[in-house]
Amino acid sequence: MTWWRKADWLTRSGLLCLVLLALGTLAGTVLGIGGDPDEMVGPRLAPPNGEYLLGTDELGRSMLPRLFEGIGTTLVLSALAVLVTAVLATLLGIAAGYRGGWLGEIVLRLVEVLHSFPVIVLAILVAAVLGPGQTATICSIILITIPLMTRVVRAAAVSVSERDYVTSAVISGARWPRILSRHLLPNLSGTIAVQGTYALSVGILVEGGLSFLGFGVQPPQSSLGALIQQGSIYLLAAPWLVIGPGIVLVLAILAINVFGDGLRDSLEPREARSLV
Amino acid sequence: MRLFSWWLRRALSAVVTLFLVSILIFTASRLMPGGFAEVVLGPLASPEQKAEVTAKYGLDESILVQYARWLGTALSGDFGISMISGEPVTTEFGLRLPVTAQLALFGIGGAILIGVPLGVATAVRAGRRRGGAAVGRLLSGLGVSVPEFVLGSVVVFLFSRFALGLTVGGYVPFGADPAGNLQSMLLPAAVLSVFVIAVTARTTRDAVLTVLVEPYITASIARGDRPAFIVCRHVLRNASIPIITVLSTVSAYLLGGAVIIEYLFNLPGMGTYLVQAVGRRDYAVVQAGVLLAAVVFIVLNMVTDAVAGVLDPRFGAAAKGRKQ
Repeated sequence: MTWWRKADWLTRSGLLCLVLLALGTLAGTVLGIGGDPDEMVGPRLAPPNGEYLLGTDELGRSMLPRLFEGIGTTLVLSALAVLVTAVLATLLGIAAGYRGGWLGEIVLRLVEVLHSFPVIVLAILVAAVLGPGQTATICSIILITIPLMTRVVRAAAVSVSERDYVTSAVISGARWPRILSRHLLPNLSGTIAVQGTYALSVGILVEGGLSFLGFGVQPPQSSLGALIQQGSIYLLAAPWLVIGPGIVLVLAILAINVFGDGLRDSLEPREARSLV
Repeated sequence: MRLFSWWLRRALSAVVTLFLVSILIFTASRLMPGGFAEVVLGPLASPEQKAEVTAKYGLDESILVQYARWLGTALSGDFGISMISGEPVTTEFGLRLPVTAQLALFGIGGAILIGVPLGVATAVRAGRRRGGAAVGRLLSGLGVSVPEFVLGSVVVFLFSRFALGLTVGGYVPFGADPAGNLQSMLLPAAVLSVFVIAVTARTTRDAVLTVLVEPYITASIARGDRPAFIVCRHVLRNASIPIITVLSTVSAYLLGGAVIIEYLFNLPGMGTYLVQAVGRRDYAVVQAGVLLAAVVFIVLNMVTDAVAGVLDPRFGAAAKGRKQ
């Protein structure tokens, strides 16, 4: 883990924050801290107090376990989608960048078609075709994040495949599986990791936006976007319904972005100079 | 001549992309479960009523026939009618485009007037203090990390709760009441601009940082040029490609319709209209709307390439033409 030694405090705290958020949510869900997220336990719209740390919602459900469930849903959906995006974008990007030819043309064209759809409209179309819910959310995130990642991986694959070590491997008779596993993938892994972190933050944004508009995760299941959507109805009477999920959402995206920036900087270090 | 043939190829490729977009959106809109008849007539309608409505709009024919008919009329500029209102799609868009265009204009203005200078200012100071760079990264990161619907909800809450002088909602067209229009557009534009400004500032900062370590900047400093001169003369020009690329991306994003902002602030723009049209299975509106957004995206990309070529001949169409 050389990048960890090279990373600055901000990058490290980004990763730490993300890990803590995931572990905390896992612990909270497994241990059942705060009770059952679906059980109506208390008074309706109670502000945060000793018994209900984050208050209760319009049905008297405690917000703390609902928040745990919400973070879990959002993180799992986005991570699954980004995993699929990463695999597909890597395959497509290498096919277009290393092999090129008609296959590359087709990949680039498909990616451009997807890219020219407005983001939220694309997500809502997917939700309309598949029906609102988790599957639609995952598919939307994949379709939205795949164009950019494929393009970046392709550009990197083009530059790697022009290097001398690839040429010499080809000349010495190496087959493509060997070139792929020995030369292309190791040299593209940094790019893929950085793009993956950015895609993850986009994924969380898309889940939030889609659920906020009512086309994503459906009640009674909670997600960060769904919690904010339901809470925004009672925004003036019970702002705590939005504040908790809102802060967690911003924190998660910020941590991922800051970590991604730091990862990129430590993989492609450069000097800095000040003019003033 | 090479340049011309490069642009010709580019235009042909754009036509192919638009053709594929039209096929995709047409297929997707017909794949949506529950057709137009179910949506307008409701669940209690008899099969005969549904069949009548379906036949009236030609929805009972095969999808290939429907697509061919739509493509034929669309090529002559007729994008059909909204089945909900009975008005031509172009008329309906004419009512909503000004809202989207105005929001986009505010956003792009913010990106150019605030985002670019902010990016340059933070970049030229980046190497000065050890902690300064991290703080700049944190702040610009915060700008791109706050989702529109969170920031928008906060703004709606603050301005509805504490009567801060600006109203939420209550859109009026600019032509009818300029002051009232600006009053209702200021908050959504501000919320929208935060993200756009942060994205532009981050990209500008990156581009400027890359340029600052070039030998010609060293030479310029050695000649004793003042920082403002160096920025205007060398830095901006050489960092211009990523900057105009991000400005073009941001413009395409804004012109595609800021669905969430329009929804939060009750603005009758293209974004919410398209979302409604998807919900009501108003096929012609969905098809034309997505196609329009794709045209905007592709044209913006071509304009970006043209401007990039003028600003920096190394990257321009001329260079690409030469390669072939």
